[in-house]
Amino acid sequence: MVDYSAVQQAVIDGDDEKTVQLVKEALEQDLNPADIVASGLQAAMSIVGSKFSSGEFFVPEMLLAARAVTKALEVLRPRLLDPGTVTIGRVVIGTVAGDIHDIGKNLVSMFLQGAGFEVIDLGTDVSAQSFVAAVKEHNPDILGMSALLTTTMPGMQATIEALESAGIRRQVKVVVGGGPVTQHFADRIGADGYGADGGAAIELCRKLIKE
Amino acid sequence: MAMTHKARILAAARKQAVDKLPFGARIDVWYNYHSSHGTLPEKYKGCNMVEILRDQGAGAQVRHLRIWRVEYDNLEVVIHEDPPHKTTEWRTPLGTVTMKTIFTPQEGPWIVYEVDHPFKTKEDYRVIEYILENTRIVADLDEYHQKERMAGEDGMVMTGMDLYSPMQAIMRYWIGYERFFYELHDNPAQVERLYELEKELAKQKLQILGDSPVEMPLLCANWSDEFHTPIFAKYFIPWLREASDYLHAKGKVTHVHADGEMRRLIPLFLETGIDVAEAWSPVPMTRVTTAELRKAWGDKVTIWGGIPAVLFEPQYSEEEFDAYVMNLFKEISPGYNFIVGMGDNLPFDGKIERVGRVAELIDKYGRLPLEV
Repeated sequence: MVDYSAVQQAVIDGDDEKTVQLVKEALEQDLNPADIVASGLQAAMSIVGSKFSSGEFFVPEMLLAARAVTKALEVLRPRLLDPGTVTIGRVVIGTVAGDIHDIGKNLVSMFLQGAGFEVIDLGTDVSAQSFVAAVKEHNPDILGMSALLTTTMPGMQATIEALESAGIRRQVKVVVGGGPVTQHFADRIGADGYGADGGAAIELCRKLIKE
Repeated sequence: MAMTHKARILAAARKQAVDKLPFGARIDVWYNYHSSHGTLPEKYKGCNMVEILRDQGAGAQVRHLRIWRVEYDNLEVVIHEDPPHKTTEWRTPLGTVTMKTIFTPQEGPWIVYEVDHPFKTKEDYRVIEYILENTRIVADLDEYHQKERMAGEDGMVMTGMDLYSPMQAIMRYWIGYERFFYELHDNPAQVERLYELEKELAKQKLQILGDSPVEMPLLCANWSDEFHTPIFAKYFIPWLREASDYLHAKGKVTHVHADGEMRRLIPLFLETGIDVAEAWSPVPMTRVTTAELRKAWGDKVTIWGGIPAVLFEPQYSEEEFDAYVMNLFKEISPGYNFIVGMGDNLPFDGKIERVGRVAELIDKYGRLPLEV
């Protein structure tokens, strides 16, 4: 009998083949797919996120764990009665206008997906109006913006102002991050949260979803 | 006679005595942006960066990417320009790889950013190996000499190994960070083969640097502890130690551009033999204070930086700025083996007058040993 701790351990080890194998075995044993997601995969990513935040894990471990979860979800999705049950929230994410740096944004995106969020990645150089349009179209719980350049950070404030102008600021939580971004800056522009790194971003989004 | 900015910076880098805190400022993001947009302050229109910094009383950093050029044998390189993008194709007998970059100096950056990396599938390993095997490094110092004349005794031309040590080049340039870690996990032998080939090229660059007039070569740039710590001991320390030892024997001091999150790299850094960590960016840009770094490194490493870029922005008041700088002086007291600078650049909306304010505070309180 597959137990969830084995699934968790495979994810924590970044062993995608073993994770998929255990998930297949669990399905063959008629375990509930939604339980496999919640008690196996998402629980594992919670542990991985905590290890990252505490400094025990680094980016490679996070990436490999997220990849294992993504592959396992590919196996599980067709078996879920409600595919929406694999998500704990929806995040629209992008790098702000004028900025084409995507490494940090991609990592946060992967970590969030691994942790169970549905992520709509708008890519880089995203204008305030494009963020607003995406919020209207996808109705996310959270809007995440990234910037690596001090020259492009004002794009975050412009987006928040554009959300306000469009009358939809209150329907979405706004989180920001990136090299030059600080808590001080996030507070100043009226963001709902600041994530210093991928691990912090996951915890922040989880916290905001519960609010 | 008072020391020049350059003499003071070099002395601190060499752990020699200086009269007061050296100050080597970096303003190329601010300068590129405002000179492109026609928004330089009136008195600075027509000036270069060194002239502006001289007016502010600060020493200068003049960036120069490399003192060599790349030449290829037995392959064709085709470049497609579509500003601000550029696509480079390496056409080899074993196949073709392409890379797309973007270059927007009018918005501040002085280097290209890789939008799309050459490595895309496992089949690309052999092509990239072929490229590296058929690459030659040729000395090319003309532009460096021009910049050296521009900097004069006002500062330093910052140049060296391009930007990246061998494994950093593979991560940043050939494969890209995220895919790199999957590849190192799934195909370690192929990644290590690229590493060995990059090392051979790096040795050619080292030889050129060793024989050049460059006093303080750059050996690597752009680390972040969450990416680099797991692989630093195996792939970074041995090369950086070898390169530092080689350049020390040639009478050079070595530096890295260390503007990222450094906490977990701090103890490992001591094993590299590198003399100077430039662009040091403390709290609130990273999670480490300058006091913590000084305590960890003692007098073994010269730190260059200490004032986070954001402090130059209008969001911080003049009082907050002064308080930060004065606290920095306390943190680094008695002040030896330290070069004041920004981590890592004056932002486009930064206040140039604050560069002058740092120079004033150094003149007033920065005599060594510091007594603040």
